[in-house]
Amino acid sequence: EEPASYERLVLKNASVYHYLRISLVFQDSDKRLSEAQFKQLIISALRDLYGEIGAAFPFDVLKFEENTLKAIIRVLSSGLVKLWSALTLLGSYQNEPCAFRIIQVSPLLLALSGNSRDFE
Amino acid sequence: MAVFADLNINYTDDKKQLRDIIETAAHLGYSTVAINHLIDLQPKKQEIRKPASVDELFRQLPVVQGKSRPIKVLNRLTLGVSDASHFRPSADLKYYDLVAVVPKTEKLFHAACMTFDVDIICITVTEKQPFFFKRPPVNGAIDRGVFFEITYTPAIKDSTMRRYTISNALSLMQTCKGKNVIISSGAEKPLDLRGPYDISNLGLVFGLSEGDAKAAVSTNCRATLLHAETRKTALGVIHTIKKTQTVEEDQEQEAPASKRAKTKHV
Repeated sequence: EEPASYERLVLKNASVYHYLRISLVFQDSDKRLSEAQFKQLIISALRDLYGEIGAAFPFDVLKFEENTLKAIIRVLSSGLVKLWSALTLLGSYQNEPCAFRIIQVSPLLLALSGNSRDFE
Repeated sequence: MAVFADLNINYTDDKKQLRDIIETAAHLGYSTVAINHLIDLQPKKQEIRKPASVDELFRQLPVVQGKSRPIKVLNRLTLGVSDASHFRPSADLKYYDLVAVVPKTEKLFHAACMTFDVDIICITVTEKQPFFFKRPPVNGAIDRGVFFEITYTPAIKDSTMRRYTISNALSLMQTCKGKNVIISSGAEKPLDLRGPYDISNLGLVFGLSEGDAKAAVSTNCRATLLHAETRKTALGVIHTIKKTQTVEEDQEQEAPASKRAKTKHV
């Protein structure tokens, strides 16, 4: 009788992208900026912390709501820590204090459709 | 799961501002915050004032997001020390829940790690660290349960400070290997605060591992608070909680038949 053969399975989080739902907060709430300006702001945040190589890092703004300044961003999983830390350390836009609030982070876009923390 | 804490919110006389910061902290998910009173110990003695009570600030404490419990607000004293003889344990310290120290020279850093009766040692982030972190004092501090604090607000405000913050943090991590580190805000405005998960991600930039980075905003902060409590007691603190007791008889009946029979024989 042949001994039972075992197969070794290693499961890693194989998803290529991570998705972030973020919102930009200003001290006075009536600040407006366009989608292009929004992306430029994130690129400049990346450049401030990681230089030109960081600024060249690929990410996409999938959705941007101009009136609430909320957005969904797609980023390669390998660059999640870099993008996230760049967003964290951003403190001003055109000399006006602001902050990025990261609302949700997930490897699945579908997970951003709801937020369990908003449940009553 | 340990709850999140931010042990450094700068005190301002502007009560509305302070309220705004604490409300933002609660909204971001911090369960505990500490209001920081900064005092530079000078040769001529400066008065350590009694901190204003938290009840004066809030009629009702804001509720922590996702926890449905009110936020805990503590008072913390940070002493800037430029000479070892200036620091002496005085009765005034007992008004504060936490005591931190900012050592300005290597000698003082050694003294702070090995002998000072404090909970937190602040690492300067606004200028280049003027001395190296040596292994013996850092290990001594870790053994005594004293924590090293890195504040991140200067890193948000200014790119030069950001460089100093990261480089000082990295050189600390080289010596302490990610142990006994807490990261706190040092916020002066609500917009200086960042969420706890953002900070544990930022810890990765400071050279912490993923686990240590999360501990730096949660379990290590809790350990700091417990260490602070032991300062006021002779030896330690014990927390007790009431546990509902299970009825013995029920357990006996649930036991399998074979086991029951055996106990009867004996």
